[in-house]
Amino acid sequence: MDVKRLLAISALAIALLIIGAQELFAAGSKLTIDEIRTSIEANADGASEAAADEASGEPSEDSYDDDFNDEFDDEFAEEIKSIWDPIEPVNRAMFVFNDKMYFWVIKPAARGYNFVVPEKGRVAVDRFFTNLTTPVRFVNSILQLKLGKAGSEVVRFVINSTVGVLGFMDPARDRWNIYLHDEDLGQTFGRYGSGPGFYLVLPLLGPSSVRDGVGMAGDLFLKPTTYIFADDHLAALGVTAYENFNSVSLKIGLYEGLKKDAIDPYSYIRDSYHQYRENKVKE
Amino acid sequence: MTSLKFKTTVVLAALCLLLSASNGLAANATDQMKGTIENILSVLQDSSLKGSDKQEERRAKIREAIGKRFDFTEMAKRSLGKHWKKRSPAERKEFAELFADLIEGSYIEKIENYSDEKVIYGNEQVKNNKSKVKTKIISSKGTEISVQYKLLNRSNDYWRVYDIVVEGVSLVSNYRTQFGKSLSSSSYAELVDKLRSKVN
Repeated sequence: MDVKRLLAISALAIALLIIGAQELFAAGSKLTIDEIRTSIEANADGASEAAADEASGEPSEDSYDDDFNDEFDDEFAEEIKSIWDPIEPVNRAMFVFNDKMYFWVIKPAARGYNFVVPEKGRVAVDRFFTNLTTPVRFVNSILQLKLGKAGSEVVRFVINSTVGVLGFMDPARDRWNIYLHDEDLGQTFGRYGSGPGFYLVLPLLGPSSVRDGVGMAGDLFLKPTTYIFADDHLAALGVTAYENFNSVSLKIGLYEGLKKDAIDPYSYIRDSYHQYRENKVKE
Repeated sequence: MTSLKFKTTVVLAALCLLLSASNGLAANATDQMKGTIENILSVLQDSSLKGSDKQEERRAKIREAIGKRFDFTEMAKRSLGKHWKKRSPAERKEFAELFADLIEGSYIEKIENYSDEKVIYGNEQVKNNKSKVKTKIISSKGTEISVQYKLLNRSNDYWRVYDIVVEGVSLVSNYRTQFGKSLSSSSYAELVDKLRSKVN
């Protein structure tokens, strides 16, 4: 137990260090188009672009020229959004691994599963696990002082566990219009000012970041399955694997679509993930 | 005297009519967006247009509805960003058409699976000639997707979409990054080739 605690604390410390180290980057990447333009104007020589490059990865590619900027200058001007990716070669390798796993193993298996279990059944299973993870959403809503959301999670849990038969149905949403609020520890860290750290592609789990990965590990402590199978790690892993597999079985085609739209699927998914998570933090 | 009164009444009535007519024309962005979405949903729900043998007809109808509301040239321009300026008018036209095909194709492919969705309209933000219309799609599977449309009003209160933001992910800014990366490592011609291979 002590060793475990030590490991957890040191992991957290390392994560905090990394997150701290990338604050510089985060400050750079939050430059708006305006700021970049001003900095380019201030240093009319080519060096300024290089400096801007250094500060935030590669904004010069994304930033508009002056003329173009003037035309659309307003509060709708989009921020340049990118995430630090210092271990890109490793991430790309993991991306390829996940891609192959998806097409060679998971997708064929999901096809068979979908054939045996009708969609309604899979939706019910998905809801069951979603209901079970209420503590994650509840605690993180509280931590972010979103008391209304925390309250609606409790109401949802009570209704769906009873009227919704152990959470297999979602009458809270269907009948009472009480919607789920997706909150997790990664978002809680973000809410209190933590940047994402850097980009991580996790085996099987896919896109993540240092912040969200640590959050995901922390959220395990709020999942009932962690305690139900506290002595049987293999069973706990099996249940989690099934939970994720079932969820994927409902989303076959989504990844294919994303891949098809992209010129470079890796960076497309990375940028989308980053924007998606930052938006979640803001919500 | 009475005729003057009569004339005044007629003029006033005509004015009122004109005003109310122009008010009717000046429908806001949400109403216009709603019209387009409902139009698309009705095509998707039309039982006479279901099935793979009706795919072409169905897609043509959706394409028509999208084409009226989406400003693909504006999207292409914004997605290419600073590189747009360097292109000749012919190149711009070609690029915009390719981009339109790409977006249309992927959009239609995605929405074809959704016909029993509920769409909820949120509040609208307007500034000058731009507006944001927030919507939420609730699928029968229970997933909720937030979709935000950014619209531009060029003339006559005719709002057209220049960006779609799905769950916080902006289509235009993502393509801008993609195109920017591609153009920094290879030529414009190669990018066009890549797009063409995506479309066909």
